[in-house]
Amino acid sequence: MPTLRSGSRQISYVLDGPARGPTFVLVNGLTQYIKIWEPFRAALADRGFRVATFDLLGQGNSDKPSLFIGQDDQVAVLRDLVNELGDQPAFVAGISFGAVIALRYAIAHSDRIAGLVPMSAFAELTPQLLMFGDALRTGLVLGGTGYLQDLLFPMNLSDDYITERLDRLEDAKRKGWLINDLYALQNLMESFLDFKPLTPQLSSISVPTMIMNGEFDFFTPRKLHESLRIHIPNSALIIIQRVYHAFTLEKPVLSADLLARFAEDVLAGRWRGDKKVWIAPEEPGGALIPFPAGYDHLRALPLQLKA
Amino acid sequence: MKPFLGPLEHGRIPALQQTRISAFLISAHGALTRQLGVAIPASLHHGWQVELHSQYCREMEILSLLGRATSWVPDPALGFQVWQWEMAWLPRPVAGAEDQSQGGLIDLAAFGHALHTVIRPAALLPEGFPDEDPFALAMRRIEFESGRLMQAQILFLKGPQLAHVRDVVASAVESRHSQVRELWQNLLRSMEIDTSGRHTLMPAYQARTQPAAAAATQPSVVMREP
Repeated sequence: MPTLRSGSRQISYVLDGPARGPTFVLVNGLTQYIKIWEPFRAALADRGFRVATFDLLGQGNSDKPSLFIGQDDQVAVLRDLVNELGDQPAFVAGISFGAVIALRYAIAHSDRIAGLVPMSAFAELTPQLLMFGDALRTGLVLGGTGYLQDLLFPMNLSDDYITERLDRLEDAKRKGWLINDLYALQNLMESFLDFKPLTPQLSSISVPTMIMNGEFDFFTPRKLHESLRIHIPNSALIIIQRVYHAFTLEKPVLSADLLARFAEDVLAGRWRGDKKVWIAPEEPGGALIPFPAGYDHLRALPLQLKA
Repeated sequence: MKPFLGPLEHGRIPALQQTRISAFLISAHGALTRQLGVAIPASLHHGWQVELHSQYCREMEILSLLGRATSWVPDPALGFQVWQWEMAWLPRPVAGAEDQSQGGLIDLAAFGHALHTVIRPAALLPEGFPDEDPFALAMRRIEFESGRLMQAQILFLKGPQLAHVRDVVASAVESRHSQVRELWQNLLRSMEIDTSGRHTLMPAYQARTQPAAAAATQPSVVMREP
């Protein structure tokens, strides 16, 4: 596995796809690691993209600083990786924690990004999200990585998905537990202790942006994605049907297809964000459905907007 | 090299491996316990001193547990190694702190942090190893308790009282981490164990999704107007 020096730290990454293809860089969520993106790597490489996946500081096989990891350090890692890949701007997609790093990168390095895909994202810590974060951190501290996983699995995945995999959940948990170190996860979580809202800077993101949000995501609900949609000029919001926060695990083929189509549209000059709201198809390759006019996409009930 | 302890002997972790793991842990936790014992005053005046006392008692429990849950066998290789470990654990008051006392406390916390974070004994157990095995249970308990014990060190080392010497603290902790990691990995290598391949393990929930990865066909997301 290739490694990259970022400052004094060593970062592990993997490259797939044609060397001259447009590049996608995928940024992990909190407890994720390179291997998680395997279905994306295959699908995007098949569509002609070069795909870079990597472990952030504190994750997987990258260095795990013992005490202090700032989010600026993670943005610097992403910058160094994009620079390592060549002169062309890259498409950057990140989920959850990784979406925050991707947003920060887009704000700080607008000349080195071709398109942005924040998934299960947030630019501010609302009281509800802050309390969720505090509770998860307490769970990690008192119950260990295994207990954090016990919380995250049912929070972030649908009942249908879990039901199909009940016989393999313990195995999935064990692998996540082996790869993640408690102190490193805690450091990543504590990088939010001095978090300042990114909302005032979102309008500076000028690149095409496809925001993706699970239909039933209550951890980072629609309201948090709406903030991105309103403030990022060339953005559109895509709602992924029947899924929760971790929809890239649950619907990898569909999600990878949407990423590829977004990048292809951007490269062909077809992308028009127009701050529109769309519903993703149920299957890869299906047409996007416009959110019905006159209805409120922030509500769970089909209530018409008041005039 | 293999990622876990074993191969099993009569369904148990080989006694020589148990002996080496426990000897290392007793050496390290024993040194931490002794240093905590010296650092705790006879009469407690601050909240953090209460935490130190609690740590001291938990460390004693770990030592007692290791002594009793391990199947010990003679190991001639241990003599030199134990001496090497004990030298490494000696207090090294950190230069750059406000005074000698603060430098000593930073080093003590850094050592404890390294011990509780770098060493994950339960992660060495083979998959599906029975919960009721005393050695396995001891390893799991020590790793679980380490997650809690490190909190006191994190609170102290990241606390506002050391904010002005943050670089000194970070350097001291990294240094203790490197030291503990090197000795621990040397020990594991002596048993032909290498844990560096953990990140390549395939998550089980991906097993059925990969063949479908090429399913997407439609090339564009160009959107229709409502």
